[in-house]
Amino acid sequence: MSRPELTGHASLFYNAKEARKYDSSSRMVGIQREITERAIELLKLPSPRGEGGRPSFVLDVGCGSGLSGQVLEEHGLVWVGCDISRDMLNMANERIEQKREAALQGNESSSDADDDMGDSDEESSGPRKKQEPSPGDLLHHDMGSGLPFRDATFDGCISISALQWLCYSNSKDQIPKRRLTRFFSSLYKVLRRGARAVLQFYPETSEHAILISECAAKVGFAGGIVVDYPNSTKAKKHYLVLSFERAYKAPQGLTGAEGALLNEERAGVRVSDKDPKRGGKRHGKAPKKKKGVGKTKEWILHKKETQRKRGRETRKDTKYTGRKRPTRF
Amino acid sequence: MRLLTHNFLKSNVRGTENGYPLTIEATTVRCEESPADREFVLGLLPKVNYPALQAAARQLNPHCDPPLPDLPEDLDPSDAGGNERLDDATVGALHRVLFDVYLVEGWLVCPDTGRKFPVKDGIPNMILHEDEI
Repeated sequence: MSRPELTGHASLFYNAKEARKYDSSSRMVGIQREITERAIELLKLPSPRGEGGRPSFVLDVGCGSGLSGQVLEEHGLVWVGCDISRDMLNMANERIEQKREAALQGNESSSDADDDMGDSDEESSGPRKKQEPSPGDLLHHDMGSGLPFRDATFDGCISISALQWLCYSNSKDQIPKRRLTRFFSSLYKVLRRGARAVLQFYPETSEHAILISECAAKVGFAGGIVVDYPNSTKAKKHYLVLSFERAYKAPQGLTGAEGALLNEERAGVRVSDKDPKRGGKRHGKAPKKKKGVGKTKEWILHKKETQRKRGRETRKDTKYTGRKRPTRF
Repeated sequence: MRLLTHNFLKSNVRGTENGYPLTIEATTVRCEESPADREFVLGLLPKVNYPALQAAARQLNPHCDPPLPDLPEDLDPSDAGGNERLDDATVGALHRVLFDVYLVEGWLVCPDTGRKFPVKDGIPNMILHEDEI
């Protein structure tokens, strides 16, 4: 599969159809959530309800359909997102609308519960649904032209799977190095002193990763690239962690040796039935598909539901769906 | 777009000396109601540019139904002690203005160059033209 960045402009790739597909893919949602959680972990923000109760204001660059923004809200963070694709932002708006409607319905049916809520002294752990800040605002903007905010606005910045787009130029006046430098120098200005930025990206080559790091260092950031799961093609993730502290050293990446359970979770992400290491005699080859194991009726119904969610034309579910077919002859 | 975000937004068109704050020309405004969180508002207050907030509230008020509550004339956001002493009504007013008012359709105008940024569906389009970068 070729990289999306090679097909053209980000707003052309993430058109309405692609945006919907992206947002409804449970796998994509799961991965983006994981990456966002890790980015927030690396961001090391003071707890929003810690001393002084000062909430953190975070910028989400390339926020897309708001998947990462949702995780930020769950952590009690106030955020602003920007993205170059209007279609992705429209999906984010849809998500916000759904959330608002759900909240309104929830408020109507649980107005008694509201009286028990009390004031803002809520416990800091546990689900924070009612005290979650309102959804972040969205901006339609190209990060390569700088960030349109006044100085020292943000307490932190994250970016999930977006930065690599700056490495590709889509017109003759788009020079990657210039766009990267402009982005980083404006990021330097809009972050508060002491704030940090964690930018997860997919470098196509090591040259890209080096170019990105160099542009960040040139504008004055300290930091480095944290690589999680460096030995796995699928699970490997690059996080550019930037700080204002000159002596800052980026932490070690995760390796999967943190515990068998984590390994298994990670394995669950990258290992498919086709992994030769999982035993079986068909080393390296696709596993033999046994009808009874691979394609149960349950699986078929679930798959059809997924396709329906994606908007594909799917036959109705009838008593014939997934029934055992008569033998061939 | 909430007024909280508007308070931080500025024009970064090349050559602009002072693209802040952006004047709001509103066409459609939506007002909501959410419970005011005192700690939250006081925590965010030090970041806010108060004169810009007052100006923005004034610009949006004609489109708000019910009209926005009055904000105190003088408020020093960085005065933590003074802010702690603000009464609940004032904090509620600040919360309303910062979080509950959404600019849905309209324009954001740069005070320096007059460049207009359109706002559609609550999302400002800040994409610069090639000659503005």
